Amino acid sequence: MDQPEKHPGSPPQPSLHLRVLSDPAFLKPVRHSVEAFCTARGFDTASVEEIGLVVNEALANVTRHAYGGASDKPVEVDVEFDGTELLVKVRDWGSGRKPPAEPRHDPLTPGGVGIVCMKKLLDEFAFTPLPDGMLLTMKRSLTNGKAP
Amino acid sequence: MSPLKTDTDLVPSASKDGDTVLASICGEIDLHNSPELRHALLILLQQNAPKKLVLNLTKVPYMDSSAIAVLVESLQKMRKVGGKIFLTNLQPRVQGLLEIARLGTIFIITKDEAEALLP
Repeated sequence: MDQPEKHPGSPPQPSLHLRVLSDPAFLKPVRHSVEAFCTARGFDTASVEEIGLVVNEALANVTRHAYGGASDKPVEVDVEFDGTELLVKVRDWGSGRKPPAEPRHDPLTPGGVGIVCMKKLLDEFAFTPLPDGMLLTMKRSLTNGKAP
Repeated sequence: MSPLKTDTDLVPSASKDGDTVLASICGEIDLHNSPELRHALLILLQQNAPKKLVLNLTKVPYMDSSAIAVLVESLQKMRKVGGKIFLTNLQPRVQGLLEIARLGTIFIITKDEAEALLP
């Protein structure tokens, strides 16, 4: 997993850039890196865990849907925090097909849980088709709609 | 309870008593290792044909939707033979995902194994 070099004692990086493959083996390290980034910026434990979950689901969807299960394709994850809001971008170079806006989610039928998580746990998210793939942007405020 | 052999660290222990199978699951489960969990649970179901499957999740701090799908598939197989799945010792993060996925009432959730093993 490619990421910026860390220097002991230096302030937290303003952003996090991860470049990985679509191999599900990267889910855990990416999830943990994003969670550590959020913890260092003051998100509470519940929020950190929810953000980790939606990033996990976003990456898993890239592997399953954008790349049809292929594990050797590129995925980039960029995370920024401006002091009040977290912005996570997930870029892939896959099919470029948007997921259904309203996924069918019968609890007993697998699939669609990732989008349900995004709807429930994020302030905003958007899929932007690009000529060569897809950009998913996800936003979550530090207070997540609650009074600070 | 008679011990059962398992072939994955994700299910470090399992045992059987009559038509009840009790298994412990261990680790963070995501799309990387959920196929391994699926294989292990399907083997347990095929080889033991339980009517009650108790899964202790005390050592599962995290699950993603692919792990949920494995549990749902196991539940579907159990239901076909009139069986039930009990999930015990849920960690908050796992409990939260089950609620988001609206599965909190589909499985039987108990606070510990003893409650799940009550007749």
